[in-house]
Amino acid sequence: MTELKKSDFEKKTIVDFKKDLINKRKQHGSLIPLLQSAQDSYGYIPEKTVYYISELVGIPSAEIYGVITFYSQFRLKPLGKHVIRICEGTACHVNGAKNILKSLQNELGISIDETSDDGLFTLLSVACLGCCSISPVIMIDSKIYGKLTPDMTKKIIKEYKKPEKQNVS
Amino acid sequence: MKVTIDNQEIYVKEGITILDAAQEHNIYIPHLCSHLELSPYGGCRLCIIEVEGMKGYPTACTTKVEDKMVIRTHTKTLQQMRREILQLILSEHPSACLICDEQEECSSFQQTIRKVGATTGCRWCPKDGDCELQKVVDYLEIDKITFPVYYRQLPIENHEPFYDRDYNLCIYCARCVRICEEHRKSSVISLRQRGRFSTIGPAFNMSHIDAGCEFCGACVSVCPTGALSEKGRKWGGIPDSYNASICPLCDLNCDIQVLMKKGKVIGTLPPGDPHQSGGELCVKGRFCLTHIINSPDRLKEPEYLFDEGIGIVSWDEAVKQAGKMLKDVNGKRVAVYLSPNLTLEEILAAKLFFKDIINTSNITSSILNSNLISYISLSEESISLKEIEKSDCIISVFLNGNYNYAPLTLSIKQKAEKGTPYFQIGWIKDTTSRYAYQQIIPFPGREKTFFNKIAQSIENADNSSPEIKELVKKIKISSNPIFILGPDIMGLTEADGILKIIKKIITLTGSKIFLTNPYSNLIGLLSLIDTKSNEEINELISQKKIDLLYIIGDNPFQKRPPVNSIICQSPFPAPDYLNADLALPSAMWGEISGSFADIKGNIKKFKAVTNPPGKAIQNNEIFDRINKEIGKKDIKFTYKGISKLIPKKLEMRFPFVKRKPLKAKISPPNTSFPLLLIQEKNPHIFYNISLSNNIRDMREIVTEDAIIMNPTDALKMEIQNGDSIFVKSDIYEKIYPIIVRKIIPQNFLLLITSSRTFDFNPNPCPVHIRRNNV
Repeated sequence: MTELKKSDFEKKTIVDFKKDLINKRKQHGSLIPLLQSAQDSYGYIPEKTVYYISELVGIPSAEIYGVITFYSQFRLKPLGKHVIRICEGTACHVNGAKNILKSLQNELGISIDETSDDGLFTLLSVACLGCCSISPVIMIDSKIYGKLTPDMTKKIIKEYKKPEKQNVS
Repeated sequence: MKVTIDNQEIYVKEGITILDAAQEHNIYIPHLCSHLELSPYGGCRLCIIEVEGMKGYPTACTTKVEDKMVIRTHTKTLQQMRREILQLILSEHPSACLICDEQEECSSFQQTIRKVGATTGCRWCPKDGDCELQKVVDYLEIDKITFPVYYRQLPIENHEPFYDRDYNLCIYCARCVRICEEHRKSSVISLRQRGRFSTIGPAFNMSHIDAGCEFCGACVSVCPTGALSEKGRKWGGIPDSYNASICPLCDLNCDIQVLMKKGKVIGTLPPGDPHQSGGELCVKGRFCLTHIINSPDRLKEPEYLFDEGIGIVSWDEAVKQAGKMLKDVNGKRVAVYLSPNLTLEEILAAKLFFKDIINTSNITSSILNSNLISYISLSEESISLKEIEKSDCIISVFLNGNYNYAPLTLSIKQKAEKGTPYFQIGWIKDTTSRYAYQQIIPFPGREKTFFNKIAQSIENADNSSPEIKELVKKIKISSNPIFILGPDIMGLTEADGILKIIKKIITLTGSKIFLTNPYSNLIGLLSLIDTKSNEEINELISQKKIDLLYIIGDNPFQKRPPVNSIICQSPFPAPDYLNADLALPSAMWGEISGSFADIKGNIKKFKAVTNPPGKAIQNNEIFDRINKEIGKKDIKFTYKGISKLIPKKLEMRFPFVKRKPLKAKISPPNTSFPLLLIQEKNPHIFYNISLSNNIRDMREIVTEDAIIMNPTDALKMEIQNGDSIFVKSDIYEKIYPIIVRKIIPQNFLLLITSSRTFDFNPNPCPVHIRRNNV
């Protein structure tokens, strides 16, 4: 995995993060902005940055880890190459989002908020994607797939897996 | 300020919480997360109360008293709500015994099923009968739980030293997290995740050792449930008595209380309420003492080396043999080694016995080498622990406070947190490092030059590094700077030179000094007896001018020296290679009354709490018996008689040292030997044993004869924890196991040795390493 999918983030670079670190050194209340900055730069919060921030800000690493795991906005593992968002809003729920989720889980072997072992997919759950008329929907990266059935979902996932396999071989 | 609690008018101080006010006047409000030593938390919600004019039900632990407040603590609604809250807590806490039909008969029939791996109810819990949750359940009279019961099925964490953790019993009061942060200032653990997935532990599921836990046991003391329990005392039950004493494992001689059950020591704690105290002791005082005094390795009967081999003999026989050996020999040809852990009374008895009766002046201790003498002679400027409070700039030099000197490191951390600049000079990252204004690592292999530069920088403005400039600037603007010296400095080859420069720096800046040493009564030893240096006695032995060695609780040799006979008198057996002709079992701390002297010459007394094991007797009694056997002079060695002879004020006298010019040349690391190996004597020594060797749990945190390496270095060289590596300097090579830990910076290696001499010379020594099997 060389490239991180950063389309969802404000495009910050690692240099920017380091600038942030230096500016916010030993400032009270700078932990969460720093963590956000780290996540924007790396796509997740690597273990090393936690120790680094701890040394600079003077907050023990255990406490920082506590903060990271408390807020769902922070991730300690990198996102997969493709981010799958499944809608679990009212309309999608009524139209069988649960079955779609089940088939996704079967196909990928992961549950919500996890990344598959090959680093290809991350599964996230959202409350609404704003297209209830074509429910149930999932969004892969920035593409919407609507009016899904479990079988269709499997096919879509296989499509995404295919080019990867070819590249590998 | 007047408040009314439950129709009772009471007068209280301003600014205290309602819970404190109620407790002061013996009104009980149930609580689980609140703790005397901790700031209010408001987590368990059991201390809810009604206050007239206030909305809802505020918690007593977080609400401050106000004038003319009317408070009700025991209304029907409150009790009903508390019951509901407690049931919610219990729904995630194994409480099978609470709702069991047969709970009343249980105590008489089910005594033997206690030692189980997983706790499912009170009768299977190590804290049964000593549990705060149980008390609250009794008070609120709960006999059923209306909510569905949920067992978290967390694995029991018992693979780390000294205490077990079963977070299935945890009620998330966060007392452990808070005492680690607020009181001990370590912050090793924190609450992780959220809601029902919450767990307590260090970051990234690290082990507690890697996270920097000092094993002070504060978290275990304050835990209201059985979630945290001492490995050694887990099934020991409730102690019969608590006896005041002092800890003999370093020269700070902290006050402790000894927990006794049926005449046996089952634990040690800091003074005060056993549940309200914690964190003032280090791992040695909190956990190791119990292990040592109950050690199965104690010498219990006198042993004599017959021609056929070692055999157990009676005291009469042993005394007869000792008398024979001592009568045959010329007093000038006897050398005596004394342990720095002996009490003043024992040292004085030894002085009377050996100076007046045996007539020898060859008295020494294995630690009395030239480096120690130049170290301890700095004590003229030294201050007591309390005076650190007054300092406004603290500089620690080669101090490794990880498992040592807890009151000292605590006061450093407290001062640094309040803004006092704290500089740490040395290689090792210890518990105080996080609070350091700056950690300065002397340039490897050039330590003497480093201190010289500081001295020069103080004398005149100069061109030294920015780190030194900052340090000197801070020392100059402060009115009361303090240097804290660690014993690791004595191990350096250039120690004498470095200490001289430090002395110069101290006189130049008018600083004070605090000396730490790991020996409980070194000061007493130097004050009561005119000693000779270790080097001098060793020379006598090698010139065959010594016939008999009398070793009391000491371990000075790596192999048997060329003498006719050796008598060892110690609580622990003499090492096998010594082939001691006579081994006499003596009593140790806890079994004798006595006193230790601190660096200022003040005397601290302690009392015996238990009896020595087997046939072991007190050192003074042994002297008495042998004296009667020899029958030369009429001297009584009893404790009472001797203690009268101890002077009120002690003053140290140092043995004469002839200094040899340094043989080994110090050099910095270079391309062929890129790493710097630092060797340290294991400071955790008591009588003739090492705590790391004798106590399994201690071995895990302070491993002897293994190389400690930085994780980044290890990753670069593809070395893993437990690998065996080949260490090579330009003149010596040896194989060691590897431990990967963050306490040592990159490009350094740390070796804690069990021997008194170092294999690699000089110290620190540039080396290169490779994997053994490659």
